Amino acid sequence: MTYLLNRLFSIALTLWLISVITFAVTSVLPGDVAMMILGTQSNPTALAGLRQQLGLNDPLVAQYGRWIGGMLTGNFGHSLVFKEPIADLMAQKMKASALIVVMSMAIALICAVPLGVWAAVHRKKWQDTVSSSAALFGISLPDFFWGIVLILLFARMLGWFPSSGFTDPSVDFLGAIRHAFLPSLALGLGLMAHLTRVTRSTMTGILNQEFIRVARAKGLSEQSVVWSYGLRNAVGPIMTVAGLQVGYLFGSIIVVETLFNYTGMGWITYQALLNRDVPLIQTSVFFIAAVVMLTNFVVDLLYLLVDPRIRMQ
Amino acid sequence: MKRFLTPQGVIGFTLIVIIVAIGIFAPLIIPPDMATKMKMTMRLKPPSMGYPFGTDQLGRDIFFRVLLGAHTSLGIAGAAVAISVLIGLPLGIISGYARGAVDNVLMRIVDTLLSFPALLLALTISAMLGPSIPNTIIAIGIAFTPFLARIIRGEALRVSAMPYVEAARAAGTNDAAMIWRHILPNVLPLVIVQATISLAFAILAEAGLSFLGLGTQPPNSSWGLMIQASRDYLDVAPWTALAPGAAVALTVLALNMFGDVLRDVLDPRAQ
Repeated sequence: MTYLLNRLFSIALTLWLISVITFAVTSVLPGDVAMMILGTQSNPTALAGLRQQLGLNDPLVAQYGRWIGGMLTGNFGHSLVFKEPIADLMAQKMKASALIVVMSMAIALICAVPLGVWAAVHRKKWQDTVSSSAALFGISLPDFFWGIVLILLFARMLGWFPSSGFTDPSVDFLGAIRHAFLPSLALGLGLMAHLTRVTRSTMTGILNQEFIRVARAKGLSEQSVVWSYGLRNAVGPIMTVAGLQVGYLFGSIIVVETLFNYTGMGWITYQALLNRDVPLIQTSVFFIAAVVMLTNFVVDLLYLLVDPRIRMQ
Repeated sequence: MKRFLTPQGVIGFTLIVIIVAIGIFAPLIIPPDMATKMKMTMRLKPPSMGYPFGTDQLGRDIFFRVLLGAHTSLGIAGAAVAISVLIGLPLGIISGYARGAVDNVLMRIVDTLLSFPALLLALTISAMLGPSIPNTIIAIGIAFTPFLARIIRGEALRVSAMPYVEAARAAGTNDAAMIWRHILPNVLPLVIVQATISLAFAILAEAGLSFLGLGTQPPNSSWGLMIQASRDYLDVAPWTALAPGAAVALTVLALNMFGDVLRDVLDPRAQ
């Protein structure tokens, strides 16, 4: 209970720090929001008027207070580019991105865990070389490059999947999956390579331990030694690394969603950055960092469920 | 030394030497117009004897553009990693050595910064400063700092607890001398390993930023920018993307291969 309270306090503190950093990065750096709205050719009186109206002449602390106050009351302001309430945009785009983040994580884990275990079991044999080399190659290619290859192969040549666009899952579920598949695969391949390496090194460490030797001495089948004794102990570390990779995924979606014209968080953040839509940049950067932080918190809690040894401490 | 001589280490190191040599010498040897000369009659030609990697949408020779792009891509990545080490190293060492309140405050901030995906942080900083090569370097450098600071802090914490540090303290060594003579030299191996691995990520980050138009700007040329330019011609000329993509992949692969071996040899935690 104390643990949970401590963590909740720590989350609140981190969220506040995230908001301060986001605000600092987007406000202290040069750039004039009023000029962005009215254009560089606008007359000085109109600019001054709009600056006054938007409160850009106020001290930074007052501007920050207004922003954070709005966020706390659910008023995120309006996007300058999309002319829509930011809250609505965030809700839609988060949903779209959640789909590809979950799908790419699923693709990565389904392939990486067996591959990594396979490499660990056959350590220093050809199986290990094949799996480790493939993984090393996988982490060396930028995900947008995977994206380009996938578009050429599956969209242009074979025509199995659409190369761009987004469909709302609540409208057309199958269509949504079809649109999300290639971006998810582009993200998932790099992630899979990384997780294969982690699984391999974790499993290698575990398979060298005493209790594995005992299990073998008891005459258990190799199958159950590896999968139920070995892998069970590797779940925690693999899960933690996978959780940390959610941060990496939320960075990569900016490139991959843009490449696939998939209108999620990454796409809208990019549009905001390109057009210097400061209110939208602030909110989407804040949301992405908050989601990444909360995901890692949830993973920590799941770790407690998976590994009773941690709970004892 | 012997442990460096694994096939992976040797191949990785050789590739790095070759690629760095290309990055340094290509701009000195190759006349710039080899890569910038436009020939409208030679637009989007597939690889051939005269053009080993084909030509791009403006009829420029992709082979020379890839060679010259190494200079920009490696230069940006190297400078960015240098920035993150210059900021991250003192931060990490101070945090790990001082412990207590200083450590708590610094690491709270670093942990918060780690919630921001590095690419997002770099893109935001670059967009806010206005995309250019120096700003790309600053953006990637800052974005990579929290990660390095975190790792160096852990190592400084470990080294500070060593008996020889305690012995030096008993002998009356002051803090500055302690950090300079005992902590820093023992943290450096890990810094070298992490810098090598970060270099691979920085090359990917530069490519990503340039691909989105928020990194290197034309008329300069980098691998990421070449991939971006190729997007509109993928159907008719896939080689325009494949050559710079392969250059990025090969460089990052070499750094990762060598980085893995370095880690096995130098990282005390891996032994």
